[in-house]
Amino acid sequence: MPSVAVPQPINSIAPTGAGRILRDMAIVAASFLVLSLFIPLHWLTDFAIFSILVLSFDLLYGYMGHLSFGHMLYYGVGAYAASLTCIHLAPNPLLAMLVGVVSGLLVAALVGLVVVQVEGAAFALVNLAINQIGFWLAQSGLQDYTHGEDGLPSAVEALGFLDFYNLPVAFGFMLLCLVLVFGLLRMLTSSPYGLVVRSIKENEDRVKFLGYNTFAYKWLTFVIASTLASFAGALYALVKGFVAPADLNPLENTRIIFSVLIGGAGNLYGAVVGAVSFELLSNYLATSIARWEMVLGFMLLALVFWFRRGITGYSSDLVAKLRHGRRVGG
Amino acid sequence: MLEVQDIDVSYGHAKALHNVSVNLQRGEMVFVVGRNGAGKTTLLRTIAGFLQPTQGSITLEGQSLLGLRPDQVARLGLRFVAQDKKVFSHLTVRDNLELAAHASGEKLETAVERLLGLYPKFEKFMDSKAGGLSGGQREILLIGRALVGEPGVLLVDEPTEGLAAIVIADIFRILSEMKERISTIIVEQNLSVVGRLADRIYIMKEGKIEQEITDPAEITDASQLECYL
Repeated sequence: MPSVAVPQPINSIAPTGAGRILRDMAIVAASFLVLSLFIPLHWLTDFAIFSILVLSFDLLYGYMGHLSFGHMLYYGVGAYAASLTCIHLAPNPLLAMLVGVVSGLLVAALVGLVVVQVEGAAFALVNLAINQIGFWLAQSGLQDYTHGEDGLPSAVEALGFLDFYNLPVAFGFMLLCLVLVFGLLRMLTSSPYGLVVRSIKENEDRVKFLGYNTFAYKWLTFVIASTLASFAGALYALVKGFVAPADLNPLENTRIIFSVLIGGAGNLYGAVVGAVSFELLSNYLATSIARWEMVLGFMLLALVFWFRRGITGYSSDLVAKLRHGRRVGG
Repeated sequence: MLEVQDIDVSYGHAKALHNVSVNLQRGEMVFVVGRNGAGKTTLLRTIAGFLQPTQGSITLEGQSLLGLRPDQVARLGLRFVAQDKKVFSHLTVRDNLELAAHASGEKLETAVERLLGLYPKFEKFMDSKAGGLSGGQREILLIGRALVGEPGVLLVDEPTEGLAAIVIADIFRILSEMKERISTIIVEQNLSVVGRLADRIYIMKEGKIEQEITDPAEITDASQLECYL
């Protein structure tokens, strides 16, 4: 009798009730609180915001397999929308965040109708082109509104206890936002929607065979990812009190991509680990090495050739091996 | 039930199908046989909506399928099992079924029961990654997944290709069990399977229907089909 393949049971999507999602959110929060014992709060605040940005990108790239070189556009849209709200409407942080998010959503909804019609290199480059247009608009096309290279202030007033000039409060709020975004994405990626998105990454035609309108799912994922990036941008503007064209420079997309590769794509923990790791490396290397970008370049080569699955990918393998060893050992 | 009438299909300037007409009645199992390159897969992909004919008509229960996207055709109750045996390898077997169940509105438990009814051995693989399954197991999973939601028509492209004899026996048994429950068009090169299951056979050659065989005596004598290939 020919042997039958008996694959080891592996949960491709961990079963997630509300309890598990809350557990994962608590892990992220606790991790940042532990890090606050060793890392300056103003750095951690930035790390939290950057983690939201990387999480948003991971939904698009890690889960759906669509690599964009233009994700910073939405970060910049959120940042500028928040700033303009503070200047022209009211220096209300919640209003600024709301306008930032809605602005990003509207831009993504329109742009998404065009860009998700292509894939692969075309998708990456079309998004880069659109990001470049946005960058130009911020620098000069709309400089009457954006003040070009001079940038825009985004000073907000305190709203009750929500005072972004109080560092612990700002950190606490950014951490809360990160945890909520993490929980939202955990819920989405563990749902039937998440199954469809992951399957589109693997084989879009087969998903169509089953009766799914894959264009609609790709568009929705693009909008969600971009809107979350805008949320990160709005938060950044409120914390920094200032926004400039550099905040949607297309070259900055490499930071996000690098972070996802370091942490491991298609893994929410990987996005956070990658974001924090990248920021730590950038901050520490910059203070100790003159050509720190070169070190990052070599790291990228190493990642691409030897560590494609990132930190969380190899950690998962190690944990699985240890568990298997324990089971076999009795 | 399914009516394909005088369709031409081209890949760029190269015509792949010439005036092809096939039909499928309710409860039938129709086979399409022919050499490699005869246009069999092109025929199935056209019916499924991946290719659009440049002339002719395709109707399912009287509704035209022309211009519809593959997902729209699938939602009308026509499913396609491709030749390449590709499952969603990073998902578990259960998740592969859940994907289909969610699209059709069927309960996952029903889909799982149906698959286990087809192939009880799947019980130990339900939570294993589908990428680790053998070729035969993948084919059975693909058929089981295509049956989720109880579609009216199933198109299957070379289900036994590249499989060992013992696995072909399993596929054959599954197809036999399906025979009364669902109308099926199967592209197949294994003539012994064809001879034992077919209600009718279309012979394709160079993008055309060469012959339609309806005589049961002719059908069961699979060896004489060789002369058509």
